[in-house]
Amino acid sequence: MRIDPPDVPALERGVAVLGSGGGGDTRTATTLLRRHLAAGAEVVVHSLGELPPETPVVPVGVVGATAVFAEKLPGGHEFVAAVAAIERWTGTRAEAVVSIEIGGLNGVMPLVAACDLGLPAVDADLSGRGVPRLDQLSLSACGRPVTPAALAEPSGQVLVQGTGGPADLERTVRAFLPSGGGWAALALAPIPVGELARCSVVASVSAALRLGRQILALGESPDPARLAEATGGRVLALGRVVEVVRRPGPRRHGRAGFSRGGVTVADHASGALVRLEMENEYLLAQRDGRVVASTPDVLAVLDRRTGVPIAGDAVRVGMEVMVLQVAISAFWTEPGEPGRIAVLSPRAYGIDTDPVLLGGRR
Amino acid sequence: MTTLRRLLALPELSGGVRVLAGAAGLDEEVRAVRPLADPGADRPAAAGELVILTTPVEPGDWRLDALLRRVVDAGGKGVLVPMPADGAQRTPVPSPAAEGATRAGEPVPSLATHGTVRLADRLGLPLLGAVGDPLDLLVAARLALAEPELDRARLVLAAHRAFDERTLAPEDVVRRLRDLLGVPAALLDDRGQPLAGELDAPDALRTDEVVAQRVPLADGVLLAHPALLPHTPRATFWLVAELRGTAAARADVVPVALSVAATAVQRWLLAQRLELERDARSRSVLLGDLLRLDAEPSAQVRRRVADAGWQLGGWHVGLRIGAPPAFDTVAWTARITRLLRAEGVDAVVVEHGDGWTGWTTFSQEPTSARVRDLAAALRAAHRPLHRSIGAHMGVGRPHPQVGGLIDTVAEAIDAARLAATRPEAGFFLHVDQLGMAQLLLEWTRTDTFEPAARALLAPLRDQPGDLIRTLSAYLDAESSIAETAAVLGVHRNTVAARIHRIERLLDVDLRHRDERLALHLACRAVTLSQPPARSP
Repeated sequence: MRIDPPDVPALERGVAVLGSGGGGDTRTATTLLRRHLAAGAEVVVHSLGELPPETPVVPVGVVGATAVFAEKLPGGHEFVAAVAAIERWTGTRAEAVVSIEIGGLNGVMPLVAACDLGLPAVDADLSGRGVPRLDQLSLSACGRPVTPAALAEPSGQVLVQGTGGPADLERTVRAFLPSGGGWAALALAPIPVGELARCSVVASVSAALRLGRQILALGESPDPARLAEATGGRVLALGRVVEVVRRPGPRRHGRAGFSRGGVTVADHASGALVRLEMENEYLLAQRDGRVVASTPDVLAVLDRRTGVPIAGDAVRVGMEVMVLQVAISAFWTEPGEPGRIAVLSPRAYGIDTDPVLLGGRR
Repeated sequence: MTTLRRLLALPELSGGVRVLAGAAGLDEEVRAVRPLADPGADRPAAAGELVILTTPVEPGDWRLDALLRRVVDAGGKGVLVPMPADGAQRTPVPSPAAEGATRAGEPVPSLATHGTVRLADRLGLPLLGAVGDPLDLLVAARLALAEPELDRARLVLAAHRAFDERTLAPEDVVRRLRDLLGVPAALLDDRGQPLAGELDAPDALRTDEVVAQRVPLADGVLLAHPALLPHTPRATFWLVAELRGTAAARADVVPVALSVAATAVQRWLLAQRLELERDARSRSVLLGDLLRLDAEPSAQVRRRVADAGWQLGGWHVGLRIGAPPAFDTVAWTARITRLLRAEGVDAVVVEHGDGWTGWTTFSQEPTSARVRDLAAALRAAHRPLHRSIGAHMGVGRPHPQVGGLIDTVAEAIDAARLAATRPEAGFFLHVDQLGMAQLLLEWTRTDTFEPAARALLAPLRDQPGDLIRTLSAYLDAESSIAETAAVLGVHRNTVAARIHRIERLLDVDLRHRDERLALHLACRAVTLSQPPARSP
């Protein structure tokens, strides 16, 4: 599969919805991708089966403050430096890249990295949606180590963490970022394609592209019923944002955690109050107090007119929005793997309630 | 009924608690107050509860919204959240529903965000914000909810003190009850007529239903409690209290005091009854002793008779009033004496078996006119008695002295037994000098008696020895075997053997006066209606 300039808007829309309100602004990333495409770069996304099973694939992505990413633009060397560091550490040359997170800017940036590195990308990712922490990747859910990992920040520092668990890596990254410019390119140890099929969300790039195309096809002011039908999801509310509350979140590892907040949407038709609890992503939806949807399903707030997803840090009182619930990839709800859903369930975010998913899936 | 509004008016709550939302639900009844430390605790809320969060929650905590929902779903009546008093976390709450709190837009110290307030309004659930220790509020609210119980308990104690072990007359009970309750109270009789105390609306009582009653009045409520002896179908007395205006609020509390007072009245009734029973018992024993006398009464008996106020000298006319089986005779003795006195008859009346036995005494032998007047007066007194309790009455002939008393009472008893089966005589029979034989003979000729007589003597038929004739002759001869033998022309041993067989066949004792009388009448009826029996 090739990504051509006409595919970019659909890809952007798809990954933005999958960001579930988080994942960072996709505009900078798509601008970079368009520039590469305009310069003649060829972006190839291989399905896993197209590559020999032993082909080493390096998971890449941007970590850190996505708001800073839009101001302190990448120079194009960060992914090269990070991948070079992990190649040197592991002694394995990368032959392809895979996104750590399909939701948000990391749905697009690995393709930019692929252009920087001159490597193909593969049709998979390690999250299936937007996730806030490195200990929430599919690798952790499958019990695979996330280290060694290499970080390269825009001003030139490169950091390799040789060993450590997912929580250790998360803590290291959060400690490193304030001293390193707010964001960094991350590269994890190469994974052979044959193993990647078992520990990643497969075909997520094409899925994001398809989701984006379906939403774009509805045009402006999409009808909620058709939107639900096109996305296979559910529209929880169509109404006006009546309240946005932001507050400091619980502290983590002795430092300030992600901030928390709530968005209340008054549904026009029923008058019901749909309240979204958010951290970096929208995590929980309550309808008149009752929990009706939760992570790991994707919860997106779309501009009612344009259908553009509105991130949790951009939502404001008075906006006319639709609240959309889209089913999470089956990877997380695999019946034989009950441990997976715990990684993304509400309790993983400190919200003490069971997951409430589309169709009652667990 | 305690509403949230009433709880909010408590001094402990009125200063520091504000209604943030859901004012529409303030007038619903709150039955319990429950502390909740963790809004996310998965403890089910209960109907009628006010949930008081004891620890502060962060503004916009999703668990608060979820709690509101849970409380509403369970039928809860409100949620109270603590608010910081220092104003550190002030969020403008421009809710029009924030009753008594603010002008629109004025900052209200609140841990409930606009969205939560809106949700509470939408759910119609009162959301209260409290400055101050929520546990203090909890205790105050719980005490207030328990107040009716405390009031009731205090009243019960006071009532028990007022109606202590001493036996008080019902009038005194009502007076103390009125002082205790501070409302009009009255004592009514079994038909609801006032006996003591004052009352505006006594007619509302349903006296046929012997249960504690609560009758709504235009501006209050009438509470009544019956007082009665065990195993009696109607209340002897009713204790009634009238609660009007503000006093009506104690309608749930006062019945318990009435109940205690009714117990005091019942105690008095039992004491009275005990007196009556004791008196009745001693008189009934004395009457039994008199009727068994076969000689002049001893000095001791005469002394007891004098103590009872009876006279043995003079001429006596016995009377017997029979009552239905198991009738409560003691309770009616006084009434019967009153009835007789109303007809000008001054008689001794003693409870005796299923009825009353008595006599009236003349200092000299009464003329037949006086006896007729007496009989007429007794008949007049009997009429209402028969109507109310189905009593029958027999009256004996005048006889002098102690022996005469026994005789006339025996006649009266026999006559009463006959009167019970004599509707045509109004269940009243007077054995006068002329009437006895006539009455009986007249009786034996009735269509009802003859078959009964035949049935009575049936075992003697077709027996060898002409037993019916033998019995008839024996009874005609005043139980003399020798004379019977002479009349029948058989040996006296034959007569004795036949009499013995008769007694066995009929299962009777011919020494018993009643049985003798019955058999005599039966023989007479059978022999009168038949041609002479064949000879042996």
